[in-house]
Amino acid sequence: MESPFKTEAQWYDGTSAVRHSGELTWDGGETFELTSPTARDGFAASDLVFGEARSRTVIYRRESTPDFRLILPADIPPGLAARLPAAHTYGAWVDRLGLGKAAGIFAVVSIAAVALFMTAPDWLGPRIPTSWERNIGDAMVGDFGGRICHTPAGDAALAKLLEKVDPEEEKVRAGVANMEMVNAVALPGGQVLLFDGLVQQAESAEELAGVLAHEVGHVRERHVMTALLRQFGLSILLAGADSGVTNSVFGLASMGYSRDAEREADDYARARMAQSNVSPLGAAGFFERMADEYGDTEDSNALVGWLASHPSSGERAKAYRDAARKGAEYPPVLTEDEFKALKTMCEQDPEVEEFEFF
Amino acid sequence: MGGSHDIDGADSAFVFEGNWKDFARIALPNLLLTIVTLGIYRFWATARERQYLWSRTRFVDEHLEWSGTGKELFLGFLIVLVLFGVPYFGVTFIAQALIARGHEAIGTALGVLAFASIFYLGGVARFRGLRYRLSRTRWRGIRGGSDHNGFVFGLSYMWKNIVGWLPAGLLIPWSMTSLWNERWNKMSFGPFAFETSAEPGGVFARFLLFYLAPFVLFVGGVIMAGMGMLAGYGVGGEDGVAIGGFLGFLGLILFFYLGLGLIAVAFYAKFYREVVGATRWRELHFTFEASTIDWIKLLVIDAVLVVFTFGIGLIFLSYRHWKFFMTHLEAGGEILLDELTQSQTSTAKHGEGLLDAFDMGAI
Repeated sequence: MESPFKTEAQWYDGTSAVRHSGELTWDGGETFELTSPTARDGFAASDLVFGEARSRTVIYRRESTPDFRLILPADIPPGLAARLPAAHTYGAWVDRLGLGKAAGIFAVVSIAAVALFMTAPDWLGPRIPTSWERNIGDAMVGDFGGRICHTPAGDAALAKLLEKVDPEEEKVRAGVANMEMVNAVALPGGQVLLFDGLVQQAESAEELAGVLAHEVGHVRERHVMTALLRQFGLSILLAGADSGVTNSVFGLASMGYSRDAEREADDYARARMAQSNVSPLGAAGFFERMADEYGDTEDSNALVGWLASHPSSGERAKAYRDAARKGAEYPPVLTEDEFKALKTMCEQDPEVEEFEFF
Repeated sequence: MGGSHDIDGADSAFVFEGNWKDFARIALPNLLLTIVTLGIYRFWATARERQYLWSRTRFVDEHLEWSGTGKELFLGFLIVLVLFGVPYFGVTFIAQALIARGHEAIGTALGVLAFASIFYLGGVARFRGLRYRLSRTRWRGIRGGSDHNGFVFGLSYMWKNIVGWLPAGLLIPWSMTSLWNERWNKMSFGPFAFETSAEPGGVFARFLLFYLAPFVLFVGGVIMAGMGMLAGYGVGGEDGVAIGGFLGFLGLILFFYLGLGLIAVAFYAKFYREVVGATRWRELHFTFEASTIDWIKLLVIDAVLVVFTFGIGLIFLSYRHWKFFMTHLEAGGEILLDELTQSQTSTAKHGEGLLDAFDMGAI
């Protein structure tokens, strides 16, 4: 009769490739013994750990001798089987819970994590202190490599414009960047840049006031930090997807705002302009021209930047036009000379750097 | 009880005994768990897959064993993230900040430095990936490994690749075989090192196809486009010419990519036959017998499998590739079991320290 505490066994001692064939015996206590015609080995029962299950055999290892391998048949007498370490399949956590339950718990945790991650920019962005944002912005772009145009008259005109649209004590830092694109950006750290290209095509100072007010709106509503966090989250996701992270200076340019954020910034701009008695018709004219020039599309292409991710130009022009009080006379926001000083600012600054992509 | 094995019989030394239904029982739960853990389970999934594939592979009279764990792969990934990912992120951030401030030269140099470090670490990772796999592969309780950490190999990988590409790519067969030799010569199984002496001459003729073929394909394509235009003219006059020409042009592009793909497969088929055939271990010599047609069949069925299962077939690719590899790998010679003792190479507890997260192909 076959003993319940005995089974045929094969083993490798871990120091040589020679296979031992014999028997495994359990003494009923704490010890296993291996015997073959040429070898004999004993070890504590608690030393044995499960390795893997094969089609007709099960492999065990020894905690104290990691290279040791014991091969037992899959059908082991029940008395002995009870003393052998349990098999594991998926990994400790999943085995303990069962596949279905573990998958369910993981799924819930994952969905919560994704939801947190996706919404984080919206609730975390506005809570990040302005001073931190300023530091981040300074670290990212600094003084923009001396590409901001300065002339005494131009600076004064810009300051006057800013006074009308930014009522806060501590003003945003506004500047005209020596770049030919028709664009304007709000950068991290409360820095607003009008590109010279936009200044050049402006037909009135009111247009510039509208654009400036809009960008100040982004800063004051904390959209910049939200967009930055979203960008950061995106780059983490992309980094997870493939290890070749391709960040570039364009990452900054492609940073976009949501359409809601754009509306908020527009609302902010109109409110400030109404407060300061600046005509919104200039901004309306600007958007009408943009609609003519670039087509009135709803597509947002992040690379085109400022214009693209915004609500349709025609719709916005109308909103600005409607904001004008009927029959009201608005005083000009800048004098002829001040407007001219803004327009010639980059041309007349001898020290400004050119912007080139290498 | 020692003895020796003569492996010269009709039976293949490597036999794969798995079947796809058993594998599916591993791979489908893996897929489920990987999805619900947002990919984190994939390290454990990899370990389970390999455990199955290795344990269903018999070398002579004993099955292989994969003793790597998901935990160590995960730890390796975390270490790479901290030691490499974070510095890389920092450097690219600084590079961007410098460019924004007008220091384009320094910023660009930093960017190039970051790229070069990826290039270098790619080489190190190839070495360590192979070392890791050997150190976790057991046969009769014995494992493989290497006494080298791969940092020197990373440098070789950089300069040999650059030299290979410089003369219009003509030295690529040399750089590939030379790197194969350098890598495998530093690997061992049990007490004995692998020895390889693959020659670039054996694969050079195939490699020249890359240069010759574009001309042949181009001339063929132009003729096709011309014929398309003529045919188009016959059907619909002037408009027909345009459509015919366009279709001909489309044919040319397809022909070109398909042609280049075929050449690449033909080259790799030859390359693997050459380098595996030049690899020895003690008294054993290896051969790899997959022909170009075998490779094409493998890849075409891969593609069909993935497309017609809407991507779920992807989980079977590792199974198919391992089976392909084991089916075509042969070994001959003699193993003295008495002298095959345990490897003395060091192993790390956590996925071999650094770069197993890259975990590129072992061969």
